[in-house]
Amino acid sequence: MAVVGAFCVSVNREACINARMPGKCATCAEICPHGVYALDTVTGEMEIVNYNACVGCRICSEFCPANAIRINPAESEYVSRYPWTLAAVEEIHYKAQTGEYLLRGFGTQGPTPHFDMITVVPSQIASAAPLDKYREECDMEVVIGEDTCKEPIRLQVPFVWAAMSFGALSKEAKLALAIGAAMAGIASNTGEGGLVPEEAYFAKGYTDKERTHKKWEPGGYMIIQWSTGRWGVSVDYINAGDAVEVKIGQGAKPGMGGHLLGAKVTEDVARVRGVPIGSDALSPCRYYDVQSLEDMKRMVAFLRDATNYRVPILFKLGPSRPYADVAACIEAGADAISIDGLTGGTGCSPDIVTQGVGIPTIACIPPAVQALKDYGVHHRVKLIALGGIRSGLDAFKAMAMGADAAGFGSAAEIAMGCRVCYACQKGNCPYGITSPKLECRARLDPIEVGKRLANFIHASAEEVKILTMLSGHRRTVDLSPEDLRAMDLNTAAITGLKLIGYERPLTMWEPGYQPALTVSPNGNGHKKPGKKQGTRGKRQRVKTL
Amino acid sequence: MKTIDAKAKDLKAVNNLLRKSVNGQPVAVKNVSRVHGLAAGLKHGQVIVQGNAGDYLGALNDGGTIKVTKNAGKYVADNMTSGTIIIEGNTDYGAGQYCYGGAVIVRGNAGDFTATMNKGAAIIVCGDVGNEVGTYMLKGDVIVVGNAGENLANYLIRGQVYIGGKWKSLGNNARVEPLTDADTAKLRAYFETYQIKADPTAFKKIVAASEKPFYK
Repeated sequence: MAVVGAFCVSVNREACINARMPGKCATCAEICPHGVYALDTVTGEMEIVNYNACVGCRICSEFCPANAIRINPAESEYVSRYPWTLAAVEEIHYKAQTGEYLLRGFGTQGPTPHFDMITVVPSQIASAAPLDKYREECDMEVVIGEDTCKEPIRLQVPFVWAAMSFGALSKEAKLALAIGAAMAGIASNTGEGGLVPEEAYFAKGYTDKERTHKKWEPGGYMIIQWSTGRWGVSVDYINAGDAVEVKIGQGAKPGMGGHLLGAKVTEDVARVRGVPIGSDALSPCRYYDVQSLEDMKRMVAFLRDATNYRVPILFKLGPSRPYADVAACIEAGADAISIDGLTGGTGCSPDIVTQGVGIPTIACIPPAVQALKDYGVHHRVKLIALGGIRSGLDAFKAMAMGADAAGFGSAAEIAMGCRVCYACQKGNCPYGITSPKLECRARLDPIEVGKRLANFIHASAEEVKILTMLSGHRRTVDLSPEDLRAMDLNTAAITGLKLIGYERPLTMWEPGYQPALTVSPNGNGHKKPGKKQGTRGKRQRVKTL
Repeated sequence: MKTIDAKAKDLKAVNNLLRKSVNGQPVAVKNVSRVHGLAAGLKHGQVIVQGNAGDYLGALNDGGTIKVTKNAGKYVADNMTSGTIIIEGNTDYGAGQYCYGGAVIVRGNAGDFTATMNKGAAIIVCGDVGNEVGTYMLKGDVIVVGNAGENLANYLIRGQVYIGGKWKSLGNNARVEPLTDADTAKLRAYFETYQIKADPTAFKKIVAASEKPFYK
């Protein structure tokens, strides 16, 4: 239940079919994930019964056959009532009535430090001249595992789909992602819910298991996720794709495992995951078979061995202590590291965790890049930025800050049709993206939606190309923080980017500043009093995982 | 029988040799206590480890038979899907975790978190086991001939734990149920197959209190 109270719902009764002919239409009540509307079964009339529950997704407007519904933002309560906003009051009432905390899907609501307060600096006379996007080439290829495995991944454009599991997403949505990846030459990802059989060869562009008929060019890749729940995992599973991704955490709920509510555990999902139908499928928050960094190294070693040193090994991190976590992944032998910021999405999570745990994506990237540089592997071990990336512009900024590629999760769902109703966990998604119900899934044609996804990638890649070339670069790998400026003090302080007008980084980011970037041996993140702090630029080995 | 000496060889070299050698004849390997992930993803064949084995022995095993003449390290048979792994001595923490099938037999004792998230394997320990054995098990059999520590079968969802000795405490969502004739016959079959001296009628059976525990 995501109670917001920030939207006004109005129905034009002259246009509304139900108002004119009670009982003839109840689309809004059927489609609204939050029960804003209800049908009076005696009179057949529609009523707005819960204005406060509206989250502004506007699914009702889209589905209304008479175009009779308008949703408008209400005046912000954050001025007049904060901290006792309607949302806070309703949340307390809900907990008092039920004894339960709130669960919801999607991602963080409200403002957090984000890419919008960063601007791109174009080339002019004092720097390398800009390049012509329309007449010159731009190299955006990203290669993962070039030096470490027999079959490295070669992304044609610097994007991947973020990991989203079968179960959290419908089978049709998973197949659409695979087809979209094939059409765009990027990588899809199984997530932690096992492999949908068609996924692996669809992602490569083939329509048949034998891989004789290639339909979607140029063909993409399938990343196989290895996680704490180990759902549907076998030696054949890890060999079915083009990379193995070791999931450590995710942006929307770092420190917690996957959370699939029983409503979405259908027969198919139960078969893959090995849990009873209708039972909650909760992944452990940690690996039971890893107790130390040494164990993680050994796990990576046997994963490489069991895949015959064919595919790269990736890590996926939640937003915790980016420097130390990335350093641990490097030591464990990663070929690429995805770091998922606070604004990353989820199919289901406790509201307080999605909303209040972890650090924003723009704050994850600089320490992660610093760790890669300190270990001498920046751009060799690839960094993939995840968490609230919406466009080529966001992706460009992430790459200029030092990432090699960017991943789309929430944006991919939106490209499939999602309107962000924050109710993925309920299993009623009207677009069939996160619903296991056949009537909802019937609205999602994997091939058509795959094309939408590929279109989104093509458009975003063009955006990256425009920005790269107007910054004076021929290759995305040449982007640097010099291509960006922070537009306010907060962003400059968080990112280390030069501040507009000031034209240099804030003092705290100058060489010689001593940040606390390591995890102490006991893992609590604090240094012992009197012990000399590490310095930026000096390699700081990680003692614990 | 061919013997591979793993001394001064890394995981890649040893496993490459193993995979090439397991066709037909059993293969012996020695000096592997520092090789972690030995025989990972083995699809067939028989491997005999002479002496102690390292961690992650037989991880992702999918049909191979592995026998260790002494002890094995942590996480034996991690994520095994089929096959058999027999340890003549003891195992450390976490034997038989995340297994979908096959059998793990430990003739000695096993550590904490044995058979965690077991999803269908038979995991038999002839001696004692540590704490949290069978945690979050979804399917399969865990058989402990000796005693168990705390939180036995914690958050069990499906499958069963059979125990011949005592336990310090049961975990959440676990309860004791009387043995049926089918249970006794199943235990007898296991004991005959793996030559274990134990009386099947003396065992207690632990099952899930509910298949759908509510997580708060």
